[in-house]
Formats: sequence, C-alpha cells, structure tokens
Amino acid sequence: MSKLFIFNTETLSAVFTNHKGKSSLIYAPIIFILMLLAGFYCEAQSPVQLAPPLLKYHSVFFKKAADVEIKFAQQGTQIQYTLNNQLPTEQSEIYTKSIHINKSFTTVKAFVSGDGFLPSEMVTATFIKDGIKIKSVQQSPANKRFQGSGATALIDNEGGLTDMNASTWLGYQEGDVEINMLLAKKQALSSVLINCLQNQGSWIFLPAQISVFYFDESKQSFELLGEQLNAPNEKISTVSCQPIIIAAAKKKKTKKIKIILKGIKNLPEWHAGKGQPGWLFIDEIKLY
Amino acid sequence: MQRRTFIKNSSIAAAGLIYQPSLAFKEDPLLGQGNKRYRLNTHWSKADVAKNPVNDCHEIVQDSKGRIILLTNETKNNVLMYDKAGKLLTAWGSEYPGAHGLTLFNENGTEVLFICDNNRHQVIKTTLDGRVLLTLDYPKETGEYTKAEEYVPTEIAIAPNGDIYVADGYGKDFIIRYDSKGNYISYFGGRGNEAKHLLNAHGVCVDQRNPAKPCLVVTSRQQNAFKRYTFEGVYIDTIPLPGAWVCRPVIKGAYLYAAVLQSNSNLWKQSGFVTILDKNFKVVSNLGGSEPKYADGKLDEMYQTIKYFDYPHDVCVDDEENLYIAQWNSGKVYPYKLSPVG
Repeated sequence: MSKLFIFNTETLSAVFTNHKGKSSLIYAPIIFILMLLAGFYCEAQSPVQLAPPLLKYHSVFFKKAADVEIKFAQQGTQIQYTLNNQLPTEQSEIYTKSIHINKSFTTVKAFVSGDGFLPSEMVTATFIKDGIKIKSVQQSPANKRFQGSGATALIDNEGGLTDMNASTWLGYQEGDVEINMLLAKKQALSSVLINCLQNQGSWIFLPAQISVFYFDESKQSFELLGEQLNAPNEKISTVSCQPIIIAAAKKKKTKKIKIILKGIKNLPEWHAGKGQPGWLFIDEIKLY
Repeated sequence: MQRRTFIKNSSIAAAGLIYQPSLAFKEDPLLGQGNKRYRLNTHWSKADVAKNPVNDCHEIVQDSKGRIILLTNETKNNVLMYDKAGKLLTAWGSEYPGAHGLTLFNENGTEVLFICDNNRHQVIKTTLDGRVLLTLDYPKETGEYTKAEEYVPTEIAIAPNGDIYVADGYGKDFIIRYDSKGNYISYFGGRGNEAKHLLNAHGVCVDQRNPAKPCLVVTSRQQNAFKRYTFEGVYIDTIPLPGAWVCRPVIKGAYLYAAVLQSNSNLWKQSGFVTILDKNFKVVSNLGGSEPKYADGKLDEMYQTIKYFDYPHDVCVDDEENLYIAQWNSGKVYPYKLSPVG
C-alpha cells in the first residue's frame, strides 16, 4: 500500500510540475486532494468480477449417491455454496472438500468471492436419484451427430452436463420423437421426468410439446398421463439442463409408457435461425 | 470501461472513500502465478477513438525499432503503429476487411509484414508502410480447394530459410507451405481423427528454442492443444491444454505465450485469459486464469478466474518483456499492456 502511495505522490507532483513549471510546498494540500481524487479514480476503475467456479461431477443422475467437486484455482478467493435451494451469500458454507449427495433433487448453488473483486455469477446443478426400475427403452433414432451413449442412453443414469457435445445427449432436429419404455413389473406411476438441454444460442430449445401416455390394461390402449406445452417466447442466454416433470393428476398402475416429444418447427422471430426448425436434446428419463 | 459502469462504480467508491479511506490506495492485484506475474494497464493506447477506431484487434507484433504494430479489421486503419508508451505514431491500410493474421519477418535486413485476410481469402506480404509486395491466393495446387471461399487463412509463419507456412484456420485446417517467392511446395494437417489432424488451426509459429530440433508449433484451437510438426509437415506430438481455446503460439526467449480466446467451461461468455508455457511446454502462469496444476504429468483443466479480459486473441512480447493483448469482439477496446513484476 505504501509503495503505491509514494508512486501516486510522485506521479502527481510530476503532473503538477509540468503544468506550473515548478512545484513548492504550498501546493501540498492541492497535491493531497489530487491524490485522493486519483485514488478515487483508481478505485472506481478497479473492481473486476471473478469468473464463476467450475462444478465437476460425473452425472447429475445417481443410484445411491453423487459426489460434486467445485473448482476455482485462484489464490485469495473462496467458494461458498448452499444445498437448500437458497441463494448462496458470504454467510453460506465455505467449500473445502467434495460434496456427497444422496438426497434426490438436491441443488448445489455456488459462487466465488475475494477481496478486491466483485463476486462471481452463481453456478447451479440439481442432482437426481434413480426412480422406478425401467426394463427396456426404445426411442426414435437420433441425429447421427448426437447419438448419446447408445440404445440405453435415456436410462443409464449418465448425463446432466451442459456441454452439448457431451457424449450423453441424444439430439433431434426433424420429426416427433417417440420413446417407449417397459417397466420390470406393473407399478403405480405418479410422474415422469425428462431431462432436456436448453442452449438457444446453439438452436437447442426445450420441446414445444411433451405428451406422456400410460398403457391401460383394461382398455388395452395408451391413455394420456399428462402433457406440457412450452412456447419459446423468452430469450434465454444461459445454457442449462432442464429436468421437466410431467405429473399425473392421479397415480396410474402400468407396465408401459409412451412419450411423444415435439421439437420447435419454426424458431421465433428474435432468433438468428428464425423460421427454421430448432434442435431438441434429451439425455435421461426417470419415472416416479 | 463503459461510461455508465464508471459512473456506477464511482458512487460505490465515493462511499468507500469516506468510510474506508485506505481502500482508495489499494494496490491493483497482479495477474499470473510464480515468476510470470504482471500488472495490467487497460489505458495503454493513447489513440483517439474518433480518428483511429478499431474493430476486432486481432494480432500485434513489434518491429526492430521497438514499434508496436496492431492489425485490426477496421478498414479506416487496418494497421496502427504505436510506441511502447502507447502513443500512436502512424496508421495505414483500408483494403483488409478481414484482417486477421499479422507476422513480421526480417528478410535479409529488411522487415516485412504478412497479413492474412479472412474475407479476401488471401495472404498479403507488405512493407512496414503498407506497400504490397506479394499476394497469395487460395492454394488450388493442393487439390483440396475448388474455390477461394473455402480458404480462410488465419496465420502465417516464416521458417529460417524463408519458406512461408499459412494456416487455413477458418477454412479446411490445412497448413500450406510455399517458398520465399510464394511458389507452392506442399501441405499437411487438415481435419480428421488422427493425432496429426487439426481442428481450427488458428495459429502457427517457428520454434527454434532447441537449435538441434527446430520445429513448427500449430494451434488446434477447438481441440484445446498445440501440435508440433517438422518443417516438412511430419507430425511430432501434441501439447494438450485442457479447457483453453488457445490462439497462436508466440515465442520470446525461453517462453511461449498465447492468448486464450475463452474457457471450455464457459463458452461464448467472455471467459478468456492468457497462458504462458516454459521451454518444456509446461504451463507456468495463467494471467486472469486458474493456477496451472499437473497431476502425474497431466495438466488439470484450465479456465478463466478473473474477468480481466473478454476474448483475448493475441499476445505480443516486446523487447522489455512487456505484453500487449489484442482482443476480438470485446467492445472495440484497444490493446491492453501488461508489465512484468519482480
């Protein structure tokens, strides 16, 4: 601190001397005020924001437990986080070692702070426990560029990564996506979770329509369990995984599930690809 | 810094001044780690934005007179020449709308510039005051190109014997080799699944730090790596730089410097930094980035930690070891200067 103080005095004296031809003690108070102003100016320029920390995990889906690491290799900073859905503050827990999660729908929210810097943006990830056992799955073939991890990609507990090039994503651009699932045995089903990627900048939107059907044995037909429509009105710049939950009004006993996803046929007016079909990315389905 | 932000921050600082006067004289933090640490000056350029604006600041070099030469795709003045204190000395060039790559070469005592133009699909050799000496069109001799538009050169390197290597970093990722007169010799690289292939071959430089084994260092930006080749284009090895979208390698003394356009962990969100590697290609410092860590010889993922830069695109190291950072798509800012500390 004292070093810079001296530096400021010299610099300002020099400026003052240049202006008036010579400097004298009489100008000391003026120099002092100028110094304060200069300090004020430096301070006004200096606060720089920290970048967000990195959340590192294998998958947000887990059978028994998941471990989450938060990385930020910058001296003089600390990571703080919450697991209770509250926004983390400088009073929140300080991160020291990896977080062990075994409760479904636990959300990690973290940010970084440090002296002399503006705190970072918050990063977040929700961890999801396995549901009803699914015996087999069959889905419409994905685009050859985004094939996921293969035939069982939607039930392998792998995914929840915001990187669109992660090997877990199934990507679709044309036609409806049909997914058929067979349970190990007849079960009472209350909800279906479909994990989707939202990355509008890369033309990846949430499905325009999700319809979930269960097989009614008495009627020998598929009946609607629940439905959701998403209109892409809002421009969202952040990239995120969106676990969409379709809940049944009443629990239904069934052994077979059919899901129909409709992608966006025409990207909205505000989008660079307006009028063209959007992409739809999914990586996991859970039944509860 | 934008005016609005300045005003906003001023009021915060004013309050701080009253209650915590010591804050006003707090030293700026240093950038980087170990013995490669720097102090940042974002107001280095004294150019008048009304007279000499910039668009994307793509690359910077220094000539033997000590002048700092900046290439921008602003056609009011594609080339700005500064002294080291940031005073603008001269400016020229209006015919390089896609000005991207800038390399200086001492040709038997005379310094010349090589400019890659993305939009013109050409490489242009000029004198230091902008007189055109040679123009290289798209390399149809390779048999890989059917039209100029497929060729989007981003960088040039000149071998000690005068051979010219052009990186087609936004085209087909080939490195094309010419003799000093511009006669086509050969090509290598290109896209594919083998180690010798490139993805976004954004930069190329000549590495003569080991006189027994001089080589070419080529950027494979989307693969977050540098790759080494012989002057004949034979692949040697890969230097992985996990997480870092490295631009061209710049060698000065024992070190290799590179602007990192952005971090893989935070794409297209102004997450750039600057990386410095020692002569063994070990990362020793990241300016505005994570402290480099190796486990069992493997480098940990690197990422931006402090938002000093948006999208750094090139580093110039001057004769006094100061760095100048040119940035792409970063609010048309002039280059920043970094001075070494300690």
